[in-house]
Amino acid sequence: MDAPVVELDRIASDIWTAMLGLTLEPYHDAPVFPPDQRVATGVVQITGDFEGAVTIQLGDTKARDIAAVMFAMEPEEVGDEEVSDAVGELANMTGGNVKSTICGSCQLSLPSVTSGRDYHVSLPGTAVRERIGMTCDGDLVVITMLTRQDA
Amino acid sequence: MKILVVDDSKAMRAIVKRALSTLDRVAGATILEAVDGREALGVIQAESPDLVLSDWNMPEMTGIELLQALNEGGAVPPFGFVTSESTPEMHELAKTHGAKFLVSKPFTPESLDQALAGAL
Repeated sequence: MDAPVVELDRIASDIWTAMLGLTLEPYHDAPVFPPDQRVATGVVQITGDFEGAVTIQLGDTKARDIAAVMFAMEPEEVGDEEVSDAVGELANMTGGNVKSTICGSCQLSLPSVTSGRDYHVSLPGTAVRERIGMTCDGDLVVITMLTRQDA
Repeated sequence: MKILVVDDSKAMRAIVKRALSTLDRVAGATILEAVDGREALGVIQAESPDLVLSDWNMPEMTGIELLQALNEGGAVPPFGFVTSESTPEMHELAKTHGAKFLVSKPFTPESLDQALAGAL
């Protein structure tokens, strides 16, 4: 199918504003985390008429802050399970809204979450179609849309 | 009043519960939780909630599978979806199976209240 227009920045801003009460600002430098920073990544895959994936990445400290907002807890009270759940739900909402923008019959996977330093996320057979960086209170948030290369 | 919130994300259940707690329409309601459709079936049987708010995409049993199972059982409480996916096909499928509404994430307490107005 034809490549649909997907406004990742608008989708992300709407989610962060409505669900978290936080503002995302455009980030004008290369959306890359320093190799020594721990980064959490949430991934959902889209299959069907459109084949691809959406990832959201944020530093572990920011991920903990987001989890704290979602659970109405203090960041120091938040455990790894809550952080993973929160990042997964961010990926789910972002991917779900991307899927809703795309015409055709598609299915959304359940989210996967990983965390670590200096790693690269790749899904076999896909290539980066769009990657945007945004900031929340100065912390980088990277959202990537991948599409199957023959799609 | 009892409201069952069904979502595999604990974070989203917390957000939905918090939104509900701000709404006069459901003030004082007891909020029940289930992590997927299968668990929700048991809670519905045991607790007879007055409203079910369910995610769509969940492991074990999806939201639409839950609604189908309730329809097959014959007793369906007022049922609405709260989901990150919102396509015309999903709206149609939800409506066909008797869902009262489909609220898209991201949502606000106001948009949730508006949806509940037509269901309660």
